[in-house]
Amino acid sequence: MRDLQLSLNQTQRVRLQAALQQLQDLASQAAGSSSVTIADTIPVNNEDGILKGHGTSELDGQVVATLCGVVERVNKLVYVRALRARYKPEVGDIIVGRVIEIAPKRWRLEINFSQDAVLMLSSMNLPDGIQRRRTAVDELNMRTIFEENDVVCAEVRGFQHDGSLHLQARSQKYGKLERGQLLTVPAYLVKRRKQHFHHLEQYCVDLILGCNGFIWVGEHLETGENNMLEDREKRPETSKSNMIHEEQEQTFTPLEVRQHICRIANAVRLLAALGFILTVESIVDTAEASASSNIEIKDMLGPEFYVQTVEREVQRRILLSRKRV
Amino acid sequence: MEVVRADGRTPNQLRPLACSRNLLHRAHGSARWSQGDTIVLAAVYGPKAGIRKGENPEKASIEVIWKPKTGQTGKAEKEYEMILKRTLQSICLLAVHPNTTTSIILQVVGDDGALLPCAINASCAALVDAGVPLKHLAVAICCGLTEGGYVVLDPTKSEEQKMRAFAYLVFPNSSHSVLPKAPSAVDEEPGIITSVTYGLMSESHYINCLGHGHAACAKISEFLRKSLQTQFPGDLSKGT
Repeated sequence: MRDLQLSLNQTQRVRLQAALQQLQDLASQAAGSSSVTIADTIPVNNEDGILKGHGTSELDGQVVATLCGVVERVNKLVYVRALRARYKPEVGDIIVGRVIEIAPKRWRLEINFSQDAVLMLSSMNLPDGIQRRRTAVDELNMRTIFEENDVVCAEVRGFQHDGSLHLQARSQKYGKLERGQLLTVPAYLVKRRKQHFHHLEQYCVDLILGCNGFIWVGEHLETGENNMLEDREKRPETSKSNMIHEEQEQTFTPLEVRQHICRIANAVRLLAALGFILTVESIVDTAEASASSNIEIKDMLGPEFYVQTVEREVQRRILLSRKRV
Repeated sequence: MEVVRADGRTPNQLRPLACSRNLLHRAHGSARWSQGDTIVLAAVYGPKAGIRKGENPEKASIEVIWKPKTGQTGKAEKEYEMILKRTLQSICLLAVHPNTTTSIILQVVGDDGALLPCAINASCAALVDAGVPLKHLAVAICCGLTEGGYVVLDPTKSEEQKMRAFAYLVFPNSSHSVLPKAPSAVDEEPGIITSVTYGLMSESHYINCLGHGHAACAKISEFLRKSLQTQFPGDLSKGT
């Protein structure tokens, strides 16, 4: 994710520094956990019954950190959580990726990982919806399902022997994503939650937070069999280019929805540049705040809104800490 | 008699250090370490499944590839690879991921003396960036012995050529306890991980070099600690 190029004037710089300082103080107060470097000893109060988790090891009767990160304690478990960790895929993660290659019986997708993920033809629903064996004709028609540079949403099924991911897209909510924007953020900003697909009603926008750091913001399309069948009927008819034009004009995304998509996308970019965790609530809050203060969509990435967002986050955290206390 | 150095440094002064991490997107971890004009870029891939033939499958194995700035890889590069491999094997916890291989690739971007210590520092920072568990950090320094018997730290290439002998020394980093400990009177013996010497030096000079090197490593260790702790509010991700 490229950092935002900001030119702050003097007052904005001062405000930003003050707000960042407050956030740091709040974080260190609230958390109560400390950051450690490798070979630091971790303080444990009762020596027996402590479970040493990831990132720790025992040395001379003391618990010593083997990773750089923050010490986390859960009941009797003490472990070191690395900050800015790379994306560590797990089975069942929702992933958004881009097709880079079509290989025999599979698609290769680029996800934010050191290797490309593989989506087998057999792990994908056929357009006619029937469950059957994939024949050679299906293999030749793979391009009608996904082409190069298409954005696809899928789920991690497992790992291959060399560590690359095996994906599956068998449910209706997975598949090709159209009419929207794909954003790249560092993977550690997206935490695993119960829901990764969000439908923002007031904007008619679909928001998919991929665990690999790819975020999809797009127009809301009804998922379901009607969609698939419609596409299939339209496809053999639109063999002529003028027909395609007509179809596109009929199903044009309205201007308002496009503006909403851009606003939400800018909110995501801003939060990612600040390093805040991406949740639906924070993204929607930021978008609403920008709309209510009448900030132009293109100004959302400007210095003024940047500083305002940090200040708003400070207020929110203060409220949260007061509620806790 | 004070030794006068070409760039005006005192004998115990190091060149300006700079460390930046997470530069390469495809590598699991990467770091760029520069001491003055000597710059090395290290990338870590791993741990990957599978082990090379002849290695012990009950431990993780480490593979080092050294890419020089110009020219083909030759015997000198193989020697550096071997030294780095042995050093990193002693700091990594090998039993955590058995039957895996971690590859470290080093690219020399600039060479102005003290190349091997710079490479060791860079690979250590890259391992931290990749999240590989380590026993302690390795901090490396080059100590040179001038004709007059004085110890000079972090020599440049021209100084290295004029010296009688020099040594590359690698020490573990100084550890901090998270709680303020009572200041213990026990001064532990400085342990040393790796020592490579070139040229002829007497034992007393060598012990002298070790003392100076250990003190300098404490400074580098502090710098490494500061650069590893997050400076930007990336830690703001907590607290929600």
